[in-house]
Amino acid sequence: MSLFVGTVSPDGLPAGCRAIAATSPDQLKTITIYLPMATSRDVVSNIASTKKLAIVGTYPPDHSAMQLKGTTTAVRLATDDEREFLTYRVERFGDILHAIGIPRRVAKAINHWPAFAVEMKVEEVFDQTPGPNAGVSLR
Amino acid sequence: MTLQLSEISRCFQGVVPSIVVTSDANGTPNVTFVSQVHQVDDKHVALSCQFFNKTRRNLDENPRAWIEVHDPVTLQTFRMRIRFLRSEKSGPLFDSMSVRIQAIASHTGMCGVFRLIAADVFAVESVEKNEGFLTEVMPDDSEQVSVEGLRHEVRGLQYVSESINRAACLEALLEAVLESLDKYFGFEHTMILLQDESTKRLVTMASRGYGVSGVGAEVAIGDGLIGMVARTRHLLRISGLHLELTYGRTIRREHGGMTPEVPLPGLPDAQSALVIPLVVGDRLLGVIAAEDRDPMRFGEWDETYLHVIANQIALGVDRMLERDDDEPGVIAPTPAAVAVVPNRRTFTFYANDDCVFVDDEYLIRNVPGRILWKLLREFRSDGRTEFSNRELRVDESLGLPAIKDNLESRLILLRKRLTEKCPEVRIVPTARGRFALQVDGGVELVER
Repeated sequence: MSLFVGTVSPDGLPAGCRAIAATSPDQLKTITIYLPMATSRDVVSNIASTKKLAIVGTYPPDHSAMQLKGTTTAVRLATDDEREFLTYRVERFGDILHAIGIPRRVAKAINHWPAFAVEMKVEEVFDQTPGPNAGVSLR
Repeated sequence: MTLQLSEISRCFQGVVPSIVVTSDANGTPNVTFVSQVHQVDDKHVALSCQFFNKTRRNLDENPRAWIEVHDPVTLQTFRMRIRFLRSEKSGPLFDSMSVRIQAIASHTGMCGVFRLIAADVFAVESVEKNEGFLTEVMPDDSEQVSVEGLRHEVRGLQYVSESINRAACLEALLEAVLESLDKYFGFEHTMILLQDESTKRLVTMASRGYGVSGVGAEVAIGDGLIGMVARTRHLLRISGLHLELTYGRTIRREHGGMTPEVPLPGLPDAQSALVIPLVVGDRLLGVIAAEDRDPMRFGEWDETYLHVIANQIALGVDRMLERDDDEPGVIAPTPAAVAVVPNRRTFTFYANDDCVFVDDEYLIRNVPGRILWKLLREFRSDGRTEFSNRELRVDESLGLPAIKDNLESRLILLRKRLTEKCPEVRIVPTARGRFALQVDGGVELVER
């Protein structure tokens, strides 16, 4: 999946960044999303102020996509134990990019460590696949 | 540091999707992917509004938005803060964005569903490189415009112009143009289609760089990339064609049963396309199309050059089509007949379908088919081999339009189809407005 997050500052300025990986232990009731420290400064700053977060996951070969919205419950530094998982996800993302013609070295070059782990309580789930059902609530 | 939009112009070619973040009045963010961000000028960009979605509603509540775009060569990302200004539902910007969407929609069988509702225009407040996104710099091996390259292309323009002026006939003109586009501009896969006024379809008259010539292949006005350019008369340049088509197919899949997909003429794995209408005044003469497997093949530079050349081609074609049959002129040398073992060939005319088959293989239809049938019948009954354009024009059974009959292009099409499918039968120009029918072996005629 290609993952991206969006936030808004208290004065209404949106900001986003690419995410590296996501995990959910409870069928998307909660989710932990990993953001590269190098590129998530504005996003983490906004989360600290507003706690509101949107996450979009897209499968590039066919553009199927889903958007989760909710409230963040914690922001922490990803631990060394999680680093292997993040590296694995980056490599799988490279496989997907490779399938649509983008060299694997591009995904490998995406800065993914160190990273923040942002935990979010999922409150809304939307179909985001392009077409007439885009935006339809799934939960 | 704020960059100029011109410094990141590659990001606006639509090769890699961009990401847009907006917010509603309550401060809830929304993230969406867009296939292309259009650069309007140095300070403005536009996004296509195709569905009345959350992004569109958010912009009415909070005009501030944020975009991340990718350089398709280095994959470096850039972030833009933008402010929504207005929606345009007509005008040049709307038309140029719409033709691209309509073409993809037509090609994926989504006409009427996958369409541009509005071009949403934004003021760009800042552009910044996303520092730290990549741990290593990807090589930028894209071609730069050099003075030598410029000289080469200007020479190419001169050569094309001369070829058009010197061409003795339409066939020579079309072939010289495609050859020089390959030689001077590196356009290896090109085709020219001319409009048949009687059927209102585009017919492939010349091609270069394909395994089979495709001469005679037809495209309905409005169908696919080529047909849509003919309908709208707007130039179309698409990079990352594969991405656009999968996006369109996804919408079709989500929407359910739609009309069948129109096969794209030319390269089955084309990644970029540049399609330009051939127009004189307000008359559409045809379309010139170039394709490539490189998603970044055609830039603004190529678009500009091909547009200039297309205008010259249109004027040249128009001149050829209007040329009087009795006007003195030089006849283009006829290629030497290919040595063939004379075979007896059977031609079958299917009146209901208005087409001619040779030995059970489709040959040609409509007016060129009727012309061939007339020639073959008179050859069989009277042994005639010499014919004139004028007698074809006065023969009402052929159904040629009274004006703008495109007879020259129909004869070229017939000549080329015979060369490909039945070299034993040839149509050879002998003088201005006159030609001979040459037949090796025997012919049998069947009418059904």
